[in-house]
Parts: sequence; structure tokens; C-alpha cells
Amino acid sequence: MRQGMSHSARSAMFAPLGQVGRAEAVAARLVDAITLGFLADEEQLPSEADLAAQFGVSTVTVREALVALRQQGLVETRRGRSGGSFVRAPADPPSDAWRARLQEVSLSDLRDVGDHYLAIAGAAAKLAAERSSPEDIARLRLATDDLRTAHGIDFTRAERQFHLEVAAAAQSPRLTHEEVHLQSELGGLLWLPLEPGAHSCAEHAAITAAIDAADGDLARKLTEEHLLGALDRLADVHLGLLAP
Amino acid sequence: MNDTRTLAGDEVVEQVSALVEGVFERLKPLLAAAESVLAETPSAAALHRIRPQVTEALGGLIIGAGFVSAPRVLADSEFGFEWWTAGSPPAQLFISLDPGSENFLDYTRQSWFTVPRDTGRRHINGPYVDYLCTDEYTLTFTIPVSRGGSFAGVVGADVYVREFERAVRPRLRALGRGAALLNAQGRVIVSNSVRQPTGSLVREVDVPAWWSAGAEPGPVLRRCGDSPIVLVSEKQG
Repeated sequence: MRQGMSHSARSAMFAPLGQVGRAEAVAARLVDAITLGFLADEEQLPSEADLAAQFGVSTVTVREALVALRQQGLVETRRGRSGGSFVRAPADPPSDAWRARLQEVSLSDLRDVGDHYLAIAGAAAKLAAERSSPEDIARLRLATDDLRTAHGIDFTRAERQFHLEVAAAAQSPRLTHEEVHLQSELGGLLWLPLEPGAHSCAEHAAITAAIDAADGDLARKLTEEHLLGALDRLADVHLGLLAP
Repeated sequence: MNDTRTLAGDEVVEQVSALVEGVFERLKPLLAAAESVLAETPSAAALHRIRPQVTEALGGLIIGAGFVSAPRVLADSEFGFEWWTAGSPPAQLFISLDPGSENFLDYTRQSWFTVPRDTGRRHINGPYVDYLCTDEYTLTFTIPVSRGGSFAGVVGADVYVREFERAVRPRLRALGRGAALLNAQGRVIVSNSVRQPTGSLVREVDVPAWWSAGAEPGPVLRRCGDSPIVLVSEKQG
């Protein structure tokens, strides 16, 4: 394991893809990983054979995906003895990259993965309300404060950190794994900095208050609304991107 | 009070206490090594010198061990993290130490770090979901490390809750359904009942209040030796 990515995030990143032979899906997963900083600048990608094995697709599919990444300037292939494919991370995640990703996504897929995320994050919030100690609440408050003035990648990071803390406060390793996995699958899409952090910060504060009050039903409901709001905004941007 | 139950309770208390002291004992050589490296060469590049003591600490219940530095203690890096997990051979664990990275998780907010920092005393954190290292339900044992008289980080060891449970279950079973081991917040580490499972908070007794009041042993709550672990057992009606 290399620096720059927790092993859970890394394994989620390379989890086998459902549909075999989807070069676009492999490319999208790698674009997310690079633009979100999961894969560090200059980091060498695993070999085509290894990537194929990890994603559960053919090497031809991986090669196709790498061509797409080269065209976007996110991967550089070097020849020779120390050759291979190397990550070229953008200094700032370019809005073009996520726009392209958001343009590609279908609303039906977004709805499906959104449902899954709602189920996990909602259940985590409910259990966190039943099981949080004052120590957990203090950490949730810190994670909430992170959003107050956050923008750009800090916004994305703070959103993900908060929901990770909720899953951990639920005392559930499985829900935490799922949370990490879904976060990497939805890429940075769900938490694109599309709005001022203060708005999200208020929603996180309300969820934290419900957890603190041991009100599981409210914590779940507020979490679901918070996620639906983010999904709605994504759908709006997606439709906006497709507009002629 | 039933005598056999009192004896069974004694056995649990003694076992947990011995187990906890055993883990802290295995961290002592690592603590000495970390303090001597920090005194001589406080740099991330020099941390590899404590590896023999880290890998020596691994084994038995201990599935991970290492040193985590306080911010701005090392000359060449804001954060420092030398952590290994058990296996043959042991594997080094890397986490993102770059605050600008998407993956950066600020460990200075974790209780296994803050409690030894703020109290100057050893600590057992958990049970908690350790999303930073093990991704498992874990107990983390930490001891503060000092350099020139001030806090410089912690040495620590990870124990999986399920392994801890396996170790104490035979003796705990003798106490029947109302028995459990709790942390100082009243969170269940191991219990004999599905109605009060691992990870849940006991609300019938105010464990934090009992703890702050001096943790006097009573018919329901008993502290396990010098550890922050409490044995709770229902009085048999």
C-alpha cells in the first residue's frame, strides 16, 4: 500500500465493476480517483493485467480506458525499463473533468446509487443516535465546523469526513466500509462544491443535534433529506450540461 | 450475594486486568525506543529505528502497533506515523499525512491521541470503528511519549474487539446474562446478552457518573484493576 490513499478507499476504488467490458466505467472510476486525489501525482498505476484483474474486466478494456485518460491528460505513459502509466494529477481538480463525468452519468444510475447511499447513510445516522457517546458528538461537531467556510476540495473532504464519522459513531464497521465504498464509487460527484459550505454546515449541525438528542428517526430523516438535496443539485447540473 | 458468582466476578476482573497490563507491558520497550530516537534525531527519516521494537510488540492479541507523533515534533515533517500490522512478515501501514490531500484524516482529533495528550496518562480507546488503520471494531491502547518534558506523540497497540471477546468469554459466561464489560463511557465491549450488544451504551446505570465519583466497587459495577474497564453484573433475583 502506498501513501496517499487509505487501504479501504483504495480497495473500493479497484473493486470489480458490475458490468464487464465497460471501458467508460473503468475510465470514469480512474478519472474520479485522479481528480479527487486518491491517486497521487506521479504515482505509477498497476500494470494493465493487474488493473484488469482488479476491475474484473479484460486487458483490452483497460487499454481502451487508459487511452481515454491519456486524451484527458490525466495519465502519461512512459516507455523503457522504468516505464508504465503514471498519474498526472491536475493542480486543481478541473471543473471540466467533473463536468465530463457528470455529463456521462445517467440519471437512472444516479438514482440507483443514490438509493443505496441513502439506505446506508440513513441507517448509520439512526444507529449513531442510539449509540453515540459525548466523545462521538464532539467529533461530529468538529466535522460539522469544518464545512463552515470550506470550498473546493475542502468542501468535498469535509462532507465525506462528516458522513464517515456518523458511520463510525454507529459503531458499525460494515456500514463504515459501505460508506467509504459508496463515497469512492460516487466519486466526488455527490459532494461537488456546488453550493456554499454554510448551507451544508447547517444541515450537518441539525443531523448532529438529532444524534445528540438520541432521536434516531429524525437523524435518519434529516440525513436522507440532506443527501436528496445533494442528488437533486447534481441532477440539475447534469440536465443543465445536456441543455443545447 | 451468591458466592460462586462473586468468585466468577473476581476471575473476570483479574483476567481483564492482567490482559490490559500485558498489552501496556509490551509497549514499554517501544516507548523507550521512541523517546530515545526523538531525543537524538527527531525526524521522520529516523523513525525506522524503532521498527524492531514495533514488530516485537506485535503478536498475541496485538494486531497493530507503532508510534504516532504530535504535530511539529519532527524536524522534517509536520506529522509522523510509524505503524505496523501483524502478519508474516509484518506490514507497514501508510496513511495520508498531507493535509491538502482528499484522503487526509486528522488523527489529532482521535481520542487515542487526545486523551494521552490532555491527561498525560495511558489510555484505552474504544471499542470504536477504527477507519484510520484497521477498518475494524477495535480497542486501541496508547501511552504518551514525551520529549524534553512535553508531549511528543503516542505509542500504541491495536486489539480487535472480537479477539478480546474470545479471550474473556469463557470466564464471563459464568456470570450469566446480565454480565458485560464496559468502557468508562458505559459502552459495551463484551456482553452475555444480545439485548445489550457490543457497541451499545448501557443506560440503566450511569457509568460515567460512577466513574467520576471515584469508581467505588459495588454489587453492580466493579473496575477491572487499574484499567478503565468496568465489569457490570446484574444482581440475581
